[in-house]
Amino acid sequence: MNAFLTGVVTVAKQEFRLRIRAGRWRWLLGAWFITLAAFTVLVRLALDSPGDTGLADRPFGTPMYGSLMLLVLGMGMLVVPALTAQSVNGDRERGTLATLQVTRLSAAQIAVGKLAAAWGTSLVFLALTLPLVAWSVAEGGVPAGRLVVTMLVVALLLGVVCAVAQALSALLARSTTSAVLSYLVVFALTIGTLIVFGLAAALTTETVTRTVQQPTYAPPSDPFNPPTGPPLGYEDYTYTTTQSRTDRIWWLLAPNPFVVLADAAPALPERRDPVTGLRQPSGFDPLGAIGRAVRMARAGPQPDDVAPQGPLVVDQPEPPRRPVWPYGLAANVLLGGAALLITARRLRTPVRSLPRGLRVA
Amino acid sequence: MVTPNGEGVAVRDVRRSFGPVQAVRGISLRAAPGEVTALVGPNGAGKTTLLLILATLLTPDAGELRVAGHDPVTEPDAVRARMGWSPDFFGMYDNLTAREYLEFFAAAYRLPRAAARDRAAELLELARLAEYGDQPVHVLSRGQKQRLALTRALVHRPAVLLLDEPAAGLDPHSRVELRVLLRRLAAEGAAVLVSSHILSDLEEMADRVVFVDQGVTVGEHHMSDLPRVERRTWRIRALDHGALVAALSGRGRPESSWVDVELESEQAAAELVAELVGKGVMVTAFAPVGGALEAAYLELVDEDAPVQQIVLHPVQQEVRR
Repeated sequence: MNAFLTGVVTVAKQEFRLRIRAGRWRWLLGAWFITLAAFTVLVRLALDSPGDTGLADRPFGTPMYGSLMLLVLGMGMLVVPALTAQSVNGDRERGTLATLQVTRLSAAQIAVGKLAAAWGTSLVFLALTLPLVAWSVAEGGVPAGRLVVTMLVVALLLGVVCAVAQALSALLARSTTSAVLSYLVVFALTIGTLIVFGLAAALTTETVTRTVQQPTYAPPSDPFNPPTGPPLGYEDYTYTTTQSRTDRIWWLLAPNPFVVLADAAPALPERRDPVTGLRQPSGFDPLGAIGRAVRMARAGPQPDDVAPQGPLVVDQPEPPRRPVWPYGLAANVLLGGAALLITARRLRTPVRSLPRGLRVA
Repeated sequence: MVTPNGEGVAVRDVRRSFGPVQAVRGISLRAAPGEVTALVGPNGAGKTTLLLILATLLTPDAGELRVAGHDPVTEPDAVRARMGWSPDFFGMYDNLTAREYLEFFAAAYRLPRAAARDRAAELLELARLAEYGDQPVHVLSRGQKQRLALTRALVHRPAVLLLDEPAAGLDPHSRVELRVLLRRLAAEGAAVLVSSHILSDLEEMADRVVFVDQGVTVGEHHMSDLPRVERRTWRIRALDHGALVAALSGRGRPESSWVDVELESEQAAAELVAELVGKGVMVTAFAPVGGALEAAYLELVDEDAPVQQIVLHPVQQEVRR
């Protein structure tokens, strides 16, 4: 093991040990598991309920697993800032940071080691959901590829939140301030991106004039029956309508962790609608539905979206569905990387300038 | 137990300000290997700031520094490998045992695992904490924690030891032990720089003393050639307190069982003894208040301050939490 990693492991082991001994983990982990287990049970019962809820397509595993992972990600992003937001300034307040900084551990080793411990803690929470994941998978409809990818993405996104919360705790003197700001960052990523996208969609709405060819028919003999027989010919029909250019602003949604998770999940095999020729999802699939929605937003308005009538073309060219998640995941990983760099910079000593109200030791 | 390297600490005209506050305005000092150097000055004199600079935590605005032969600003890692620092305010990892605490710092100073274990055991012995080695740190008394924190600074056998108020909060017995320990480290070749308010302790443990006031070095002396202070307070006791007070006829400040008299010189003191004895007062004690260091300190730091108003005894350290 090289020298850098040895130091990282020293810090990470120490931090992890301190975390384990300090907290009331039994209660926290217990509450976490019970909440998620109750949710999974309820989803399973809802799926199996009689009556047409539209959710009753088997296999149940797809909606169970998808909604479970969305909830795990959401709750994880609530738990992680609280666990990490005092990683640096808490040590400063307790007077244990400076004695660490004068050892031969480098600022980078301290930053990476602390992040590893924080991330490791959040992965304990993720690991605790494995029994529920196993149940969902046993219900069928969750291919191995989707299972692996979504678990990795959730783990990575929790790591990003850890890194951001840690950087804020290195930047700010008070642990309460850094905790609040960490939650604001989580809010900005999850709800904020949706709000901004919604507003931007309104701003990019434009009026377009379209011309389509419309069939003309001989005047019907019976006004109550549609015209029969082949059309006499086609004539141009011009109309105006509005459309939102989501193809220009789709990237606003990309950093949303739920979007990243849902869109990164490999799509399930689709069936082709025999009438419209469009691809249809098979069964209810929360991850797939979100993924499709953002890919459609990326594709932007399509001509067939707005044609009120027009000749029915069975083999319409399908809009390209290019993925959104690589951008979102890259944005999140960059955010986490930048946060880690900031933490390491702020831990570097000797320091020239100290923020207001901050003591070195 | 300490590697001598003949370098010690050298500081020339170091300055450091925090915004508009000039904490250190020009401190110069030397702390030689094999010696205990006392850093003495009132609160706010810049002692802690100077030690933070030497401990590679703060950069100075100006000045030259050498700690164990290296520049703490440009070669912090080289300095850290050879320097131990114990701050005036420190936190412990309350949930660790004393042994785990020391082993962690040994690892942080890159001692191999087996060496770290041995070193921790050795230091627990040194701190008289061997029986508490497997107790969580939070059950230790304040003095025990202080000793543990001090031994943490020794984990990597530093050639330079920087101690900020190590005696604060220690009981008299522990203070004596601290003195013995620091003398021993110096005898083994370490350069020990120690700041303290407790002048009577420093007087017995230090070889040299550096006085600082308002961020400036105001004196640097060997203990043996402290400037001779003539004007001092003498404390007189007698078998019959009433007779003593009467014989002094208004000179000095009578207390419950003694009288403090400020005298210009030793000559004046000798004459007063003779006078009192001549008047038939049964004198049992006639001695200067405070040691030579204290007198020199008071002389240097604030010439106008009446001696009895300065706190001469361990100031209860303000605990910042």
